[in-house]
Amino acid sequence: MASFTERMVPVLVLWLAVCLAETWAVDRGNFKTCDQSAFCKRQRALKPGESPYRALLETMELTNTRLTLQLINDNNKVRLLLELYRLQGNITRVKINELKPLKPRYEVPDVLIREPPTEPLSLLSQDENGVVLSLGSESQRVIISARPFRLDIMEGSDVLMSLNSRGLLTFEHLRMRKDTFSYKVTSTVASVWDNIKRVFSSQADPEAEKKEEADPANQAETTKEEEEKVEDGMWEETFKSHSDSKPNGPSAISLDFSLPGVEHVYGIPEHADTLRLKTTENGDPYRLYNLDVFQYELYNPMALYGAVPVMLAHNTQRTTGIFWLNAAETWVDISSNTAGKTVFGKMLDYVQGSSETPQTDVRWISESGIIDVFLMLGPTPKDVFSQYASLTGTQSFPPLASLGYHQCRWNYNDQEDVQSVDAGFDEHDIPYDFIWLDIEHTDGKRYFTWDPHKFATPKEMLQGLMDKKRKLVAIVDPHIKVDSNYKIHNEIRSKGFYIKNKDGGDYEGWCWPGSASYPDFFRADMRAWWASMFAYDQYEGSMENMYTWNDMNEPSVFNGPEVTMHKDTVHGAWEHRDVHNLYGFYVQMATAEGLIQRSGGIERPFVLTRAFFAGSQRYGAVWTGDNAAEWDHLKISIPMCLSLGLVGISFCGADVGGFFKSPSTELLVRWYQTGAYQPFFRAHAHLDTPRREPWLFGPENTALIREAVRQRYTLLPYWYQQFYHAHRTGEPIMRPLWVEYPQDPATFAVDDEFLIGRDLLVHPVTEEGARGVTAYLPGKDTVWFDIHTFQKHNGAQNLYIPVTMSSIPVFQRGGSIIPRKVRVRRSSTCMEHDPYTLYVALNLQRTAEGELYIDDGHTFNYEKKEFIHRRLSFAKNILSSVNLAPDAQFTTRSWIERVVILGASKPSKVTLQTADGQDSQLEFDFDASMSVLTLRKPGMNAGADWTVMLQ
Amino acid sequence: MRHVTACFRKRKHGEFKCLSRSFKQVLAGFYETGRREFTVLDSDMRFQVIVAAVFWSGFVESRKVRGISSSYKRFYKERKSFLCIDGSKIIPFEQVNDDYCDCEDGSDEPGTSACPRGRFYCTNLGFRPHYIPSSRVNDGICDCCDASDEYNSPAHCQNTCWNLGQKERAYVEGQMRTLDEGLRLKQQLIEEGVLLWREKQAQLRELQQVAEDLQIKLEEHRRRKHEAERLKEQTLKALEAGDSGKGRILMRSCCNPYSITVDEVKTKVVLVHDEERLLSEDEALGLLGGGHQIDLTKFRRTLWDVLTRGDSVKVRSISLHFQHPPRCFFAAEWEATNLKKVEEAYETVNMEISDLRKKLAIDYGTDWEFLFLNSQCYKLKVYEYIYTLCPFNQVTQKNTAGTEVSLGTWGMWAGTPKNQYSQMVYENGEPCWQGGSRTTTVTLTCGTETALRSVKEPSKCQYIMDFQTPVACQPVLKQRGIHSEL
Repeated sequence: MASFTERMVPVLVLWLAVCLAETWAVDRGNFKTCDQSAFCKRQRALKPGESPYRALLETMELTNTRLTLQLINDNNKVRLLLELYRLQGNITRVKINELKPLKPRYEVPDVLIREPPTEPLSLLSQDENGVVLSLGSESQRVIISARPFRLDIMEGSDVLMSLNSRGLLTFEHLRMRKDTFSYKVTSTVASVWDNIKRVFSSQADPEAEKKEEADPANQAETTKEEEEKVEDGMWEETFKSHSDSKPNGPSAISLDFSLPGVEHVYGIPEHADTLRLKTTENGDPYRLYNLDVFQYELYNPMALYGAVPVMLAHNTQRTTGIFWLNAAETWVDISSNTAGKTVFGKMLDYVQGSSETPQTDVRWISESGIIDVFLMLGPTPKDVFSQYASLTGTQSFPPLASLGYHQCRWNYNDQEDVQSVDAGFDEHDIPYDFIWLDIEHTDGKRYFTWDPHKFATPKEMLQGLMDKKRKLVAIVDPHIKVDSNYKIHNEIRSKGFYIKNKDGGDYEGWCWPGSASYPDFFRADMRAWWASMFAYDQYEGSMENMYTWNDMNEPSVFNGPEVTMHKDTVHGAWEHRDVHNLYGFYVQMATAEGLIQRSGGIERPFVLTRAFFAGSQRYGAVWTGDNAAEWDHLKISIPMCLSLGLVGISFCGADVGGFFKSPSTELLVRWYQTGAYQPFFRAHAHLDTPRREPWLFGPENTALIREAVRQRYTLLPYWYQQFYHAHRTGEPIMRPLWVEYPQDPATFAVDDEFLIGRDLLVHPVTEEGARGVTAYLPGKDTVWFDIHTFQKHNGAQNLYIPVTMSSIPVFQRGGSIIPRKVRVRRSSTCMEHDPYTLYVALNLQRTAEGELYIDDGHTFNYEKKEFIHRRLSFAKNILSSVNLAPDAQFTTRSWIERVVILGASKPSKVTLQTADGQDSQLEFDFDASMSVLTLRKPGMNAGADWTVMLQ
Repeated sequence: MRHVTACFRKRKHGEFKCLSRSFKQVLAGFYETGRREFTVLDSDMRFQVIVAAVFWSGFVESRKVRGISSSYKRFYKERKSFLCIDGSKIIPFEQVNDDYCDCEDGSDEPGTSACPRGRFYCTNLGFRPHYIPSSRVNDGICDCCDASDEYNSPAHCQNTCWNLGQKERAYVEGQMRTLDEGLRLKQQLIEEGVLLWREKQAQLRELQQVAEDLQIKLEEHRRRKHEAERLKEQTLKALEAGDSGKGRILMRSCCNPYSITVDEVKTKVVLVHDEERLLSEDEALGLLGGGHQIDLTKFRRTLWDVLTRGDSVKVRSISLHFQHPPRCFFAAEWEATNLKKVEEAYETVNMEISDLRKKLAIDYGTDWEFLFLNSQCYKLKVYEYIYTLCPFNQVTQKNTAGTEVSLGTWGMWAGTPKNQYSQMVYENGEPCWQGGSRTTTVTLTCGTETALRSVKEPSKCQYIMDFQTPVACQPVLKQRGIHSEL
């Protein structure tokens, strides 16, 4: 979907002039720099130094579950309350709020899946300088220093992380608006001066006025006024033509974190930047503020559609994470003591032995709310994933079909169009599962409705798709057309569910339908009502094979500041300022709930969202928004999805082909090849671009695209199993190499290739006219098999791979077993009962392991243990399948039709032993040149126990 | 028919090794070889065919082989082994259709979904046989109308071939009627076209004749204007020479209230120099622009004004006082006006000629069958827009507010190499939002009426139209119609 200026053409002619002036790049002027955001500017002006905060140790209270302690700012005497928790799973939570705030400050609800369970903290020692607490095992301790206040987390003699070590803790306490008061003071002072002046002038002293100017009291007054000036933006702020009234005044918070020994930090999506975060000293900090950015620029820290305030830090020893739970506009500064150093400089340090430890310093700044930070202490990457998952939950387990290919376009014009595109896939024998309808399918951008002419009989259309076991997604955006003939609008208005402007009326802004209002998704009753709108009898024309897409949920407001909502709008007790980054999270939450409810809680939902926050992984998929048909956009899709995966959001994809502009055929093919190996695989195109269904570029390219999509479908069992695993553990599906090879620094900055799970390594071709790619194959004692040729390569090397247009360099790790379904059909649902082929790739020890997960593919019955989960292992020439979930029950018609063993030697005979004790000889075929052994039709049921022996 | 029904029932119970299959294969084989005969069978004879098929079934080999057409049967003769059709591999015959793909080319599994490159033959008795990809066998979706692709699936497929066949036949018959009628109309339109073509040619010739005449006239007028100008100049020179700025013309009285002649000029107008003298014949002629008589009003508006306003030629005021109506004089401007008129006429005719030539230069088909469309426009309302196609001219779109947008002007024929007249392209319409301009592709289909049938905009600013007209009817279609089965 488009961002605002692009798509509002039909909406508001007035904007046309603006649009015409736009070029193919973001109009940076529409979005704030740190300097233009008053609190960021204020906070960033503070430089590291001694903190004015002091811990009042005498106020310390230690219970079994938490420690509390007051902090005092020696400059203004305002007291803060520090809470410290040791959470289960090696997480430390630090909360800082005002001890007695003038009014409550916002604490983010609903993102944590529950109140995190605590573990006891024990006091190790205490004196007037501070306290030392034990964090349980591994000699981990927290040291709270009193003057100045700082907090260090130690393991043995190593500092893992320090808080406020650079003295950047700030807490703009809530205060009464002083300007009215100060005005009074000033005017009183002025009138006094007038009187004095009058006295002086009556004395006719010619020196009097000069004296006055030199008077120190007068000077002091001037200084005071200057202070007021400096603090401009505290009580009101304007950006472009928008003014932000700030009834609560300044409320920003900030805290610094030092990470000794760390040179690599990741995460804090969403940014169109490299996987490894850069230092921000020479520019703006990374910004987290959900925005609808028109034609975003690459490789910069500007905010995009979503925000997950989670950062991972990694070195060869340890991985840690910082989760800054705050939904207000947030900026993150990163600096490093090695950032400026040349390789030579680092070497010199090393040789001289005088090297200071490398260190990365991070500083978080938010506009309001409290400091609530979770320090996830690892130590392994997977520990951090599981720690984060224990807080915000894991990736929702999507319907299997949603892992297939999605065909989208703004817009498929009418039912006939949908039907003919659907038929096109059959004609060209390309599988797909979902076709999508963008905003034009509605009756005048009234969501939950259909254009009465173009989509007159939606159920007929949906039935047509269902007959082919395919599905549809229709868009439902959160902006609601202000129209008294529109049921949805009338209901929301009459229930008082709209977000209010600062004066208490329903907030109105411009979006696709013209004047629109925005439901207050922060209200649980509003969300419940919204969810009920997806019931089949409410949402006319909907059927069970229709799913939902939430776009524009930053929220996008065409005529709002930075194309979003005014910060002084009101959500009950809170300002939009406090909650902004959560809006999209709640929209998707309510929508997913609606899809669950309409099926009586039986069917898994599928909802795609553009805006997101920490925890959004629980509700569906995200995509990287309105990208462009450019090679660099294809490249950036990798780090963008990798970054999201690291912070729990695994179901990620980029618009295949690029949304804006028209891709060259080569770019389109390469994008299909890349997208086929990313979690969410959807082609999408802008309204103004020519058609680009896969068969429109000549038979050769149709064949290339068909092949890429078919590869996706053969691997669906593996993808599905990865999603199940992610759902269970919180581990990313598409993951950076360093996650699996945490001790190999060569992997730390790699973001042109990635792993799917542990076992597939993908290095897509993302260069125009490429003749080859150089892939880094990690793992010193690891071997990798080219999945197309079965060629074996050693790990820990840069491998040059010559490529043609049909090449998608993908490798299977030696030591893994990957199930595939090689009978690719029209849609994933058509393949449900198909047999499996097992690809067993042997490692140097001639062993391999894998899993097979099977369930009905679309219901929540897996939660009731209705699934098959097998462990497949190969060792000592025996391949076996054992039950990983003996208490689970499910039957499948699928069977094992073939076993392909890579790196095998030729056996003399192969025996299959099934659970009933029957032995049978298997036919096999051995390719000596590639050492590939293929077992012909073993035929056992995929859910059964069995053993295959090679002799 | 009874036999066939019985077998279908059996199939529903999941047993497909019944007679029905081989039965059907026989029928299929028969059907393939005897397709043409089949089309002429009436329903009574069909029973006999079935009886014959039952009789033949005893001789048929490879009853086990599902999913092949009779022309492929020779590859599947039941022996000990099977050679993949591409010759790549020999496998035991039991492995044919055993749901495991042995042959690279998929030939060992014509009846299952095992081979990625395989294909399955739908016999579709009663309708049209065709191949489907193996991946559609037992996928729960009915693809073959005889339901043969879903022999082991939960899908409840009905045999719909008979209905389809009937529908197809009805459709084809309808098409045939349309085609016949279309071709008849087309013939008429061709005849009309020829006439129209001749008419246009005649029109062209006529126009060319007019142009020629005008050219002669034009030359004459040019000569006359030239002459008049020469005289005028002469006179003015003479006047100037005579009085170096003080010559005067005296017009004594007047005469014919509506025109003035040379004689009048000579007698009534006096050139006032140092002394008054009458004008010479040449001078008088010059004043009248070379003619012997001129309309008085014209004279007054042109020459008289020149004379009276000029510094060099003074006119005695008393004598020059025109009575009402004013009188007399003439000049070269008259000829200039005349010339201009003729020139304009000439230009108009030439433009008409070039227009007509341009029109006639368009390819109107081998028999000028599309010529009649030239001056026509066809409208169609689609949702909120009215589309107008004026063939060989332009395409426009009008919204409810009445704003009209060009979707392109005539570009070219852009059909297939086989029939280039199957598609038209109109290009360079109104520019689009993101660059480029609107274009329209018009596909011509055979119909008994000439009308715009549909308009779509699959991509922004790229329109496609379906335009039906008898002249798009091709006799080729008729042969395809014979293909209809049963």
